[in-house]
Amino acid sequence: MSKDLVFHIQRFSIHDGPGIRTTVFLKGCAMQCFWCHNPEGRHPYRELQYYASRCIACGECVRVCPSNAHELVQGVHTFLRDRCTTHGACVDVCCSGALEMNGREMSAEEVLDEILQDKPFYDNSGGGVTLSGGEPGLSAKFSKDILSRCKEEGVATAIETCGYCSAEALKTLIPVTDLFMMDLKLMTPERHAEATGNSNERILENARMLAGTDRPLIFRTPIVPSVNDLTEEFTGIVGFIHELMALRHAQGSTASITYELLAFHKLGSDKYLSLGMEYTASHIEPPTKEVMQNLLAIARDAGVAARIR
Amino acid sequence: MVSASPRALSYQERIDLLRATKKRHTEEKWRVLGSIDMDDNGIILPPLETLRCVEVMGGSGVPMKDALFSTFTPKSNHPSGGIFGARACGENYRALLEMHPTYVDPVSSLAGCYMVNFLSYRTPQWNPDFDYPHLRPEQQLYGLHHGIGAVQHFCQDMTIGLSLGWEGLRRKILTFRSVNTDDEAQELYDGLEHFVLGMQNWIGRTAAAAREMAASEANPQLRENLLQIAAINDHLVHEPPRTFREACQWMLWYQLSGKMYNMGGSLGRIDQFLYPYYQRDKQLGTLEDEEAVFHIACHFLMDTSYTQLGGPDSLHEDTTNPLSYLVLEAAHRLKIPVNVGVCVGEHIDPQLLRRGVEIMFQDKTGIPKFLGVDRTSEGFARNGYPMTLARERAYSGCHWSALPGREYTVNDCVKINFARVFEVAFQEMMDDAHAQPSVSDLWNRFEKHLRRAAAVIGESLDFQIDHMYRVYPELHMDLLCHGPIERGRDASHGGVEYVNLCVDGSGLATTADSFAALEQRVEKEERFTWQQIAAFLKSDWEGPEGERARLLMHRIPRYGSGRSCADAYASRIASTFTTIIKEKPTPRGFNMIPGLFSWAANLAMGADVGATPNGRHAKERISHGPNPDPGFRKDAAPTALALAVAAVQPGYGNTAPMQIELDPGLSKGEEDIGNVAALIRTHFDLGGTQINMNILDKKTILEAHKDPSKYPDLVVRVTGFSAYFASLSPGIRQMVVDRILAGE
Repeated sequence: MSKDLVFHIQRFSIHDGPGIRTTVFLKGCAMQCFWCHNPEGRHPYRELQYYASRCIACGECVRVCPSNAHELVQGVHTFLRDRCTTHGACVDVCCSGALEMNGREMSAEEVLDEILQDKPFYDNSGGGVTLSGGEPGLSAKFSKDILSRCKEEGVATAIETCGYCSAEALKTLIPVTDLFMMDLKLMTPERHAEATGNSNERILENARMLAGTDRPLIFRTPIVPSVNDLTEEFTGIVGFIHELMALRHAQGSTASITYELLAFHKLGSDKYLSLGMEYTASHIEPPTKEVMQNLLAIARDAGVAARIR
Repeated sequence: MVSASPRALSYQERIDLLRATKKRHTEEKWRVLGSIDMDDNGIILPPLETLRCVEVMGGSGVPMKDALFSTFTPKSNHPSGGIFGARACGENYRALLEMHPTYVDPVSSLAGCYMVNFLSYRTPQWNPDFDYPHLRPEQQLYGLHHGIGAVQHFCQDMTIGLSLGWEGLRRKILTFRSVNTDDEAQELYDGLEHFVLGMQNWIGRTAAAAREMAASEANPQLRENLLQIAAINDHLVHEPPRTFREACQWMLWYQLSGKMYNMGGSLGRIDQFLYPYYQRDKQLGTLEDEEAVFHIACHFLMDTSYTQLGGPDSLHEDTTNPLSYLVLEAAHRLKIPVNVGVCVGEHIDPQLLRRGVEIMFQDKTGIPKFLGVDRTSEGFARNGYPMTLARERAYSGCHWSALPGREYTVNDCVKINFARVFEVAFQEMMDDAHAQPSVSDLWNRFEKHLRRAAAVIGESLDFQIDHMYRVYPELHMDLLCHGPIERGRDASHGGVEYVNLCVDGSGLATTADSFAALEQRVEKEERFTWQQIAAFLKSDWEGPEGERARLLMHRIPRYGSGRSCADAYASRIASTFTTIIKEKPTPRGFNMIPGLFSWAANLAMGADVGATPNGRHAKERISHGPNPDPGFRKDAAPTALALAVAAVQPGYGNTAPMQIELDPGLSKGEEDIGNVAALIRTHFDLGGTQINMNILDKKTILEAHKDPSKYPDLVVRVTGFSAYFASLSPGIRQMVVDRILAGE
């Protein structure tokens, strides 16, 4: 069984697919969306998170760190990230929870063990497991191992993908995935590259590929003001979804394609700080209810089964 | 007052007016009495010119004020100044009823309210002639809520009263007075007859007051209503109710008389015993559903007692009926603290659960609660009773059920504080010069002391049953139970068929986490020695070293995190406690039933316990009921909570209720209703017995905590009971806030 880095397992996750679910967040994503609320999922390696507000400056971390990444000067603790080798001894002795290790190597069986704890809840609610990230498509072997075991145990499966991974990787997951949820952030390749660090051709190709399967598909767009809430950009996304719906229809497929709008929020901002990363979306405010409702109406007018999540 | 108006008020408008009146009454109570850490019982203050305040001890351990009539002084029959025995209690209570002011609100369809607690007139509460010095040292050592002096907390059978009426009850007393001629019976009959005569006087005076008000009422709709109230109450002085409205009025009088007598009166299965009246009126075409909702709402405004909706009959057929939904609707329209429980089970209409969750989402008042009736019935049967009987137990109190009219229980009155027992065991081990301290030694001592605490409880309960009838008999409940009148014995003294005494464990998480923290930090990791821990506890984690140690001991995988050492200890404590309670009855042979529940008494219980190894400071509250401590998991996953609480159920029919706080963010739509309904159903499938739920916005609760008066309408489910947030003392408010903020 494979092993990989997991940064969080969220139980009673009810907005990542139908029913009561457990969402497993895998570490590593090739996109760098500046509004991302899960920055701890970006890097495919362990990172130390430091929450200064929780630190009581006891100095235990200074005592145990083999790489001198912690300093205590006149009662003030400083974390020197560039020296950190993610050894982790400091986390064990940190009594206040100021230091946390982001990323835990887990085997697929260990992940499954956590998932199966809530099986009765999936069974009663039509829920299951969702792999998210990060990008599960970048950990295809690990993802496949988890999902195969879930299928064997009778747990319904879903994947949340940003679509920026190889088609081959995604294809290996199709047989073990009951539902795909895929982000569509922008249609204009240049603007997509500017906002996320990558062009969107591969994403759109993957979307077409998934639309050609018999798997239900939910497209999702995080509505980020000034990025994709403009009518022109948004109608492009809706048009693309409509095109894929037509493709399915032409193939005689009855598998659903639906669409969810997610409002941008700033709940992840303190995580940037804890990771020593710069939060570059602080100037953006969440979209208003009116904006969300207008966009929803545009999508629905275009014949797309959409809702706000 | 409503002025004369050409347009008749709708039922909803009348509900809104009555709610505004209740709000005024409630705000007056806050001004005069301060915090009220218990059920919002619908009591209103006596007229200010006759109001006298006394200090009493609240259930949460915080002293509180209570209001009495300065114009009423009961007659003591004992040198201590107390009032003891059925005759004296009945005589004095009758005198109180006969002087109690009448109350008629022209907007309501039902008359009556109560203004004082008779209990607060009775000092001392316990008759010093029946002293128990042999029990007291160990009761104090373990901080036991031992049940001596416990009142009510079982369930009457309302159909007895509805079918006989007050005069029928009096005739029944007279009949059996000539059958049972011993002194005990004769004294009981005296007490009961006084009770009934007092009620008849109160109701008759109320009818007259309504008629008088009608004479000067300008609004024709209200005048007509007042005349109806007068006619209904004139009828009810002697006769049993005929219509749905009359049945509601009779029920309200019974409840008011119980609330005032000893805070008793549990509604139980209101949708069943009122259903024949509902059906009759519907068939005659004299009752619309809107009107039925209104009458129920008028009742809830004056009495918020505990009600079960739906549930199985003795043969496992679902009894959910249209009235079940109307009662739920009344609670929904009112948005005041009421205690409506919705049954959830294999054979029960799933729409009732769904409607309950919808209302929970919409109103955000912690209403309704959810009852896992299949599990409680199966559990009760394990005491040796047939399932057909077990299914008749009706939900009628904070966390409890009882067989209507047939069972004496002292539910929710008897508690063993695990944290205190743990502290005794820890102290003993550390003081033992020959001991090699270890978790296993500590566990053995804990088990030994838990067994001893349970034995003291058993002896205390026997003492209660031997003496309570001569102290403060259950006159109110006796009237509507099967047996007390027939046998001439108080319900607490052989009057009813079954005695199943409730014994609850409290402080489960505090204790389980303490064991686990010692095992991990002292034994496995060797970060501290036993002596260091003992010193930290003694000094209440003093100094920077103490604080560091406290945080480390606190930061272990705690009970509720899932498959942790603390989870294992929680299960072990719960099952050991269950075994101990079930291994033998009380010395006199009365069955005891274990549950896990602290009510809001976890504050008072905590004040009695020094610092504990789970990082808890001395005197801080202990954990609530069977729940993990707030912050038990970073994601505060409700499924993890539901699994944890399901795993510690004692399983003999008494509950270990899950208290759960959900974020309003998840109540977005239909799908979320389905998911929460599935969460509830699954908890019960896994063994859970009851759910108390809040859906509250963190920002609102924080602002309300800062200045409660700005949120006079905010209703929360504190524990088994529901209350206005602004009514609560700061300590209880803090507990609610901490629960809601956990997982931040």
